[in-house]
Amino acid sequence: MIEAVADRVYYLVAILLLGIGTYMMIGNRNLVKKVIGMNVFQTGIFLFLIVTAYVTDASPPLLTAPEPHVSPLPHVLILTAIVVGVSLTAVALGLIVRIYDEYGTLDEDAIRELVADE
Amino acid sequence: MTDDTTDPTTDDGEQDRPTSGEPQESADPVAEKPRESVDSVAEEPRESVDSVAEESAGGDELVAEEPPGPYVESPIIMATVRIITPFVFTLGLFVMFHGADSSGGGFQGGVIVGTVVLMLGIAFGIEVTREWIGPRLPVGLVAVGVLVFLTIGVGSVLLGGDFLEYEEYGIHHASKYGIELVELAIGLIVAGIVTGLFFVIAGGMADSEGDLA
Amino acid sequence: MSDLVPLLVAVPIFGSIFALLAGLVRSRTGWPLAVLAAGVQVAGALVLAVDVFDDGPIRYVVGGFTAPFGIELVVDGLSATMVVLVAVVALGVLAYARAAGPRSNAFYATYLLLVAGLTGMSVTGDVFNMYVFLEITGLAAYALVASGDGGRPALAALKYLLVGTVGASLFLLGIAYAYVATGTLNMADLATQLEAVGYDSPLVWASFGLLVSGLFVKIAVFPLHTWQPDAYAGAPDSVSALISALVSTVAAYALIRIVFSVFTVDFLAANDIAQTVLVAGAVASIVFGSVIAVSQRDLKRMLAYSSVSQFGLVVGAVAVANDTALTGAMIHLVGHGVMKGGLFLTCGLIAAATGARTVDEYAGLAERFPVGAGAFGVLALAMVGIPPAVGFVGKWYVALGAVEAEAWPLAVVIFASTLLTLAYFARVIERIYFRDPPEASAGSGPADSPSGSEPGQGSAAGTDPGEDAATGVATDGAGVDTDGTGTDTDGTSVLAGTDDVDASAVSTGMVLTVVAAAVLSVALGVAAFEYGQLLEPTIERLLA
Repeated sequence: MIEAVADRVYYLVAILLLGIGTYMMIGNRNLVKKVIGMNVFQTGIFLFLIVTAYVTDASPPLLTAPEPHVSPLPHVLILTAIVVGVSLTAVALGLIVRIYDEYGTLDEDAIRELVADE
Repeated sequence: MTDDTTDPTTDDGEQDRPTSGEPQESADPVAEKPRESVDSVAEEPRESVDSVAEESAGGDELVAEEPPGPYVESPIIMATVRIITPFVFTLGLFVMFHGADSSGGGFQGGVIVGTVVLMLGIAFGIEVTREWIGPRLPVGLVAVGVLVFLTIGVGSVLLGGDFLEYEEYGIHHASKYGIELVELAIGLIVAGIVTGLFFVIAGGMADSEGDLA
Repeated sequence: MSDLVPLLVAVPIFGSIFALLAGLVRSRTGWPLAVLAAGVQVAGALVLAVDVFDDGPIRYVVGGFTAPFGIELVVDGLSATMVVLVAVVALGVLAYARAAGPRSNAFYATYLLLVAGLTGMSVTGDVFNMYVFLEITGLAAYALVASGDGGRPALAALKYLLVGTVGASLFLLGIAYAYVATGTLNMADLATQLEAVGYDSPLVWASFGLLVSGLFVKIAVFPLHTWQPDAYAGAPDSVSALISALVSTVAAYALIRIVFSVFTVDFLAANDIAQTVLVAGAVASIVFGSVIAVSQRDLKRMLAYSSVSQFGLVVGAVAVANDTALTGAMIHLVGHGVMKGGLFLTCGLIAAATGARTVDEYAGLAERFPVGAGAFGVLALAMVGIPPAVGFVGKWYVALGAVEAEAWPLAVVIFASTLLTLAYFARVIERIYFRDPPEASAGSGPADSPSGSEPGQGSAAGTDPGEDAATGVATDGAGVDTDGTGTDTDGTSVLAGTDDVDASAVSTGMVLTVVAAAVLSVALGVAAFEYGQLLEPTIERLLA
């Protein structure tokens, strides 16, 4: 039982990160913290992909390097996903700057009241 | 002494500041989010120009208090940045070129090159750096990068092959050079976007949508 | 020529970059460039569609790297339909946006980027490439939703961003599981490899569940639809029309592609729970979407909930998984795109002309603004499903498919959905045609408040009028007094009676586009049968 968990501990951490990210997105009142939660959520996914792509004692995927090669494909997937995550965070932060200028606060409940009063 | 008469951004008032107290004060407001309430941080003329510029640019009555600008002048940071910047830029280019057989590639290199501008902005003043960069350079970099990539792609179609088929170009090792060029183009795009976004967010005002490719 | 396929994705990106560059030199050059790019896109899409429907699917390998190692672009009848729909709707909304929409070059650059992302999503044959284009589409959509004035669009865009990112991340996680199970990302290859792994393996189940959940978020199926009302209501009118007509539609196409090309019909047959999940989502969306729509006051929010309901129909067709149902799903996707886009454009037109935005303000619209009221009536009835219009044909085929497959709960709900749709549209139509316009609709001039103004370049139609609430207050009762909320806008007389249409805010482009949408919704219904015939070989291949 312990061995089963110990083999899969990285997967558990990845799922834990997904859960933490989701809770941050839902539970925090500050908008910036929600965006950070979104980043944590995406980091969980990256960790999952990295764990599945890990090959012990492997070398870069070059013909001149010794035998077990790492497959470059998951690395490219994660890289692309990271770039997507960064650009989403950038857009989200731009929107938050605009929201702050309009409403003067970053607290979700306060904004909800302000919007309801409009 | 970090005095430097050739640096246009230093002010006379800075020389009086004791350097021992400097890291403390500069660390504090930099660490605080600008959203917190205004502290009794001594506002240098540069910072007050910044905050006045931001206030006149975008402050309206909905903003509760005037947030302290993100720029705090510090001779240590200025000196360090002045020395490090070329090396960071070179590192960025190195990372861009070496994506094929070691860690790196277009995205990472582009971010590092973009960080150069961020460092200059944080060290010497965001408004000044923004004026130096100009409104067109980030957009221009992004546009040139995308055009290079699309030209490589469509060029191979015009030469009779598939989209982005490097072998059509007939150069020796066309695939390697083609991918290298695409990585550089991606680096340009990412550097342009990082720079542009930094100024948009740090400026703290409208126009924060739109050309976020 | 099969090189057209990647060029159809490259052309809008070129257009986007040129719009950005032109914006550096001269402002206000965005619209002509966008029209040029969209025109080329429509031409290319039509050529591609003719080619595909005549000769069969096109498989294009990018960069000469052959199929399972490289990225493959596959265009069959479904993809070609989507590409044509995207191009035509983009051009149509551009015709509307000339007068009404935001005008900055950055807006048009993002617009063309959205078109590129949608086209890419439709033509790709590789799941990860589909994820990348899904995110490009999403980014462009978030930026477009935020392009209105004020805080409301920014909030709506942020909510859309957060929820949409979770959806796309779930999609990515599903791709990761599929990759772990099989080692390939190409759709055709995945189909064979997943079958080899076995349809009862937990990896395959997890992959299916995550992919479908991610797409449910993007399509806005009932419990995951919460971003949609705010996004559609908060965005400028042209953007609402574009996004409602295209983004969820292409996401539904992606669902069809994933369920039938990657996990084939055999997977659905082997796992009842997959079908149950799809049916549950469909039924919940249809019922709850319509019920919540009935209680909405703001017209754009009502239309957003209506979208939830209509896409429930499409998801139900995917669950049923036979020929008739899938044909109906495609017809309904195309028809819904045209109808919903047309409805949003009509709302924008009516708001620009008369300032009416809520259901109560639409009272007596037939007298005040007959063109807009007529278009709204035609489009609404088409959506309800009155016979020659395309809404009827799509729904009919899907219901027929459900009956053929003996999925009785779904069939009953689909038949009931017509009544439910009628419930929320009838109240608007009744107010338009059978009520008197409000007494001195004081100061409710063309209030293009959340619509039609772009940031930083001056407002669209003259001065910036008051908010929604102000117009609501001014027109709710018979208040003659225009209180000092500054709603007395450009040129309309305070004591104007029923003809307070502001002709200056309404251009012929806007009216023509709206009328064209209404006409098209009926014409497509007539042509739907031939289209179904055209699609038949594609759907057979899909369900093989």
